[in-house]
Amino acid sequence: MEDTRWTLRVTAGHAVGSTAHVRKHSFVAGAPLSFDAEYGAITALEYLLGSVGADLIGSIQAVARRRRVEVDAIEVVVHGVLHNPMVYLRVVGETGDAGLRAIEARVYISSLDDAPRVRALWAEVLETSPVVNTLAKAVKLDLAYQQVL
Amino acid sequence: MTKPLTMGAVLYDPKVSIIWEIIREFFETNGIPMDVVYFTNYEKQVEALVSGLVDIAWNSPLAWLETQHAGKNGFAAIAMRDTDCDRCTHFIVRKGSGIANVSDLRGKTVAMGAKDSPQATLIPTEFLRSHGLEAGKDYQVQRFDVLVGKHGDHIGGELDAFKCLAAGKAAASTMLDLNWKTWQADGTINGNEFEILATTDRFDHCVFAVRDNFPEQTKASWLKVLFSMSYDNPKHREMMDMEGLKAWVPGRVSGFDALTRAVQHTNFFKEVGL
Repeated sequence: MEDTRWTLRVTAGHAVGSTAHVRKHSFVAGAPLSFDAEYGAITALEYLLGSVGADLIGSIQAVARRRRVEVDAIEVVVHGVLHNPMVYLRVVGETGDAGLRAIEARVYISSLDDAPRVRALWAEVLETSPVVNTLAKAVKLDLAYQQVL
Repeated sequence: MTKPLTMGAVLYDPKVSIIWEIIREFFETNGIPMDVVYFTNYEKQVEALVSGLVDIAWNSPLAWLETQHAGKNGFAAIAMRDTDCDRCTHFIVRKGSGIANVSDLRGKTVAMGAKDSPQATLIPTEFLRSHGLEAGKDYQVQRFDVLVGKHGDHIGGELDAFKCLAAGKAAASTMLDLNWKTWQADGTINGNEFEILATTDRFDHCVFAVRDNFPEQTKASWLKVLFSMSYDNPKHREMMDMEGLKAWVPGRVSGFDALTRAVQHTNFFKEVGL
């Protein structure tokens, strides 16, 4: 069986940042990361953290449809922590890893369905989410859900 | 292409890089290309200035003295913030504690910041010594060594020292005058419960330092751009507020006497292997 490939074309912006073109869509990214709360673009790191949330929500929606679990709303709060952000800034004397040390995601599933059915839904989501399963091999993932009414 | 100047700055937090990026861009748009190199501690930055790896270093007052010590006095302090001039450190006590004079600290514990903090440790220790109180002999020091190597840039040590006082584990804590003011204003300190016992002599803080052979013309151009930054200009104000100043002023070295005495009496350079 041939591999299924997904391809994006990413082109540099004028000064900082880039535009990713995928199928008929595109999105703009800024710097790899920023420490400025007022930074005017979404950073590459934020897209990655956002993809965890999007992966979880999309997977919950798909699994809920298949299992006929009633889900009214879903919200995910994602936090990411780097090993050593000073390495990204090339601070002389700092050592270590500029990559993510941990990603934490708290998922709020609004559902009146039975708790065991939502629990089973969550278990399947964790098994089948592509982004989550990729990142699980590279970074400490702390994922938890809460069923809310 | 003009070779960019290299500026050295110590980061105690990645967010500090935001300020330096704004400063770098300011110089760039005013015709002075500049790269900023970050250091994890002042000792590495001092080495870099002495060796010529950086042209200009944003030095703490202790780093200034270390630079002179390492480079045999071949340096100049060319600029500083208005807020770097004439600072002082307070000894804070709880009101009603019975501690009314410096001599009442005899036999007590004084909470201080990091061991290499001029304002929170070195200068107040020298102040007490000049009042006949030797650390470890006449009073005990509870030190809070937060981010040693960054010379007290991170005020966490002073805050921890105050918390120690507030918890009743120390009779006094040391605090930069600016922090005493800020922490009362933001509610960290209840001004009805604490008061100033004593205050050190005035001292100066950070400076931009260069080697004596830094070209005069380059220095003049760089200073012209720096001094063109104006608090009245809304485009400059944000950066100036972030860096805690209303104006850049010419550098001076007349405000380092208290720290010099402290460094000499504690044999600080030998203690840290310089």
